[in-house]
Amino acid sequence: MTQDPTSDQDLGLDGDLLAYVDGTLAPERMAEVEARLARDPEARAATASWRHHDNLIRQMAQAADDLPVNMRIAALERELAAKLQARKRRAFMMGPALGRIAASVLIFAAGWGAHSLYGSAIQMVGGAYPQFVSATLAGHQAIRQAALQQAEFLPDEMDTALDWISAQMQHKIDSPKLERLGYEVESARLLATESGPLAIFHYRDGQGERVTVSIAAHAPGQPDYTLRVVRQNSDSMAYWTDRGLDYSIIGSVDPGRITTLAAAIRE
Amino acid sequence: MSLKTDVTLHTASLRRYALVLTRDATAADDLVQETLLKAIDKADTWQPGTNLRPWLFRIMHNTHISDLRRAKTRSDAAPDLPEPVVGDHQHTQLELTQVLQALDQLPEAQRKPIILVALREMSYAEAARALDVPLGTFMSRLGRGREALRQIVSGIGKGKLSVLKRKGSL
Repeated sequence: MTQDPTSDQDLGLDGDLLAYVDGTLAPERMAEVEARLARDPEARAATASWRHHDNLIRQMAQAADDLPVNMRIAALERELAAKLQARKRRAFMMGPALGRIAASVLIFAAGWGAHSLYGSAIQMVGGAYPQFVSATLAGHQAIRQAALQQAEFLPDEMDTALDWISAQMQHKIDSPKLERLGYEVESARLLATESGPLAIFHYRDGQGERVTVSIAAHAPGQPDYTLRVVRQNSDSMAYWTDRGLDYSIIGSVDPGRITTLAAAIRE
Repeated sequence: MSLKTDVTLHTASLRRYALVLTRDATAADDLVQETLLKAIDKADTWQPGTNLRPWLFRIMHNTHISDLRRAKTRSDAAPDLPEPVVGDHQHTQLELTQVLQALDQLPEAQRKPIILVALREMSYAEAARALDVPLGTFMSRLGRGREALRQIVSGIGKGKLSVLKRKGSL
């Protein structure tokens, strides 16, 4: 391949020359190929010609960028993206990642245990707090039973996440929008709990402090929950009902801060 | 990057590729639409975690082959080159016309590797995957095609040059 070719056919089959023209030649090969081109006029002419033809073809292709927007294509793009997202979600739920997510959910539950909430949450299931709050804190069993029905979305998938979660919950679910208070969303999940679908949004601020927001459909016939703020050791949580949805927010912050975050979500 | 953003970027690439394949803006958009419709239909065959671009280009490649079998639209559409294609320089326009007509003299198997690599949208391996051929075969077709194109354009390929002359392009 490094010998000087004697025919045009050989030139076309020279991987070094092709890579040189296409900018993919390994740096350590560059000097050798350039030396060869300096002493081989036919190879020099061939590579110059290939590059020139490529440029002409590419220029013509780029004319497509100036074509008018095609609304039919734009609609098909959206439909394809939605289909592929669904495909990705199904593969995610059926594939090896499921184990990772199931484990992460357990970490979620256990994490609150580390914050001395887990034990308290178990007691809450007995009825001291609304069930959706209990589910958020300690729905360990429900989460485990419903592991196959979970989905997780990353920060760049929030639009899709909100659409999908809204469809699953049959309620319009809006982003908690804690970004304006310095938080970035880490992920969104949909959990299947005993009381129905539970949307979970995990946020983290610049100092690494996490807060978790949950949203669930309010049970028919039950009175709405007015805003309540509860302190549990170093953690605080708030919960309330608003327009048919039950909200809770939990974080290792003081009650004043959790109230501010709750107010931001309620706006 | 979200899937929607990915799809939008790849669709722009498909449109460029389709324009060179068809030489006609309307035919190019038709090919892109047909490709996207098939991609929607075949969405379950895409493997999440793999590069979407070669998968989409492969669908376009197969769609284009089917179209060519149904009708020789490419040669018929040749007079409808979009304007302006490469600017106002007449010499460049003439060169482009020669290169496109020389491309038409090549077998489809050599033409598509040349176009795909010229677009600089994919690596050799991804382009080979898009055309559903082994990398070695792809490289061989690319190299042979480039040399054949050069010979036709420069007039070394005597027989093919005469074809161009009969078409009145030189």
